[in-house]
Amino acid sequence: MEFKLKNKYGQEELIGFVLIVVLMAVIGLIFLGLSLRNPQKEEIESYEVESFIQSFLQYTTDCGNYRENYLPIKKLITMCVNEGTCLNEENSCDVLNFTLTEIIENSWKVEGDRPIQGYKLKITLEDGTEVIPSISKGNSTKNSRGVSQPFTPLGENYKVDFTVYY
Amino acid sequence: MKQGQLKIQQMVFMLLAATLFFALVGMLVLNLKFSGLKETATELEEKNAMLLVAKIANSPEFSCGKAFGNQEINCIDADKVMILKKNIDKYDNFWGRETNIEIMKIYPEGDVVCTLGNYPDCHIINLQSRKIHVGYSNFISLCRKDSINGKVYDKCELAKIMISYKDWREDGI
Repeated sequence: MEFKLKNKYGQEELIGFVLIVVLMAVIGLIFLGLSLRNPQKEEIESYEVESFIQSFLQYTTDCGNYRENYLPIKKLITMCVNEGTCLNEENSCDVLNFTLTEIIENSWKVEGDRPIQGYKLKITLEDGTEVIPSISKGNSTKNSRGVSQPFTPLGENYKVDFTVYY
Repeated sequence: MKQGQLKIQQMVFMLLAATLFFALVGMLVLNLKFSGLKETATELEEKNAMLLVAKIANSPEFSCGKAFGNQEINCIDADKVMILKKNIDKYDNFWGRETNIEIMKIYPEGDVVCTLGNYPDCHIINLQSRKIHVGYSNFISLCRKDSINGKVYDKCELAKIMISYKDWREDGI
């Protein structure tokens, strides 16, 4: 009778011990999990492409009119739409095309092992007509970052679309 | 030994084991936390540089304001930056610890570093005159007042602003 009672007490103690071990192991695992968990990184905004458009629109070209000796690209676009000629007798659209091609080639280098695979620039009027033929280079891949920026110089609506392919 | 004493002894052992276990877990957690501290600090510096590069062009120390017509965004006044470069010692740690700021012309391209002597016939303005290693960059329009035949006009060129941050992992401490 006494032996049975002792055995019962032993079993109870064993269950208690196992429970404590399990509890400690669970607490330990929670601690470990919390300490190993890395904070999630926030997504990086695609500010570079947007800034690029805003910046190149302000670039001072060699083309001028009777008011200004050197026009910024955003004014040159209007001049090109109106089929204007620069003070140095150059065609405004040719200057616009040449300047933009040079700017993009210098800013987004596609050659070699660079991460950029290609790009495409399109300047269109409100009705979708292209101001100059779109400027593109490289391949159009699935990964891209693009910005479409409308602007209204002198009341006319234009849209600049620029996409970079990675 | 009496049953009660045996129970107390068991409890003491149990408590000791539990304390030892938690102490070991605590030490492990602390060790893991501190080993990632430098990485976290570098990540924070990196995040700061990224946020800074996206906004710095529009801060009063750099922005064109209304000096070049309408208030344009991402427009940096080159003349202002050169004056800032001259007084850069007053801006120690202003943009973050060991943050280096450099403005490099993209178009027209070149590698002449700007000083008060050769400005504006130069291409790179290094504010802190320290080497830029790892960092973020953003496109800006670098504008200044220029003149031709005595007539002043606004000259804006395409440039990139680059910000490098402190990499704590490089510290031997």
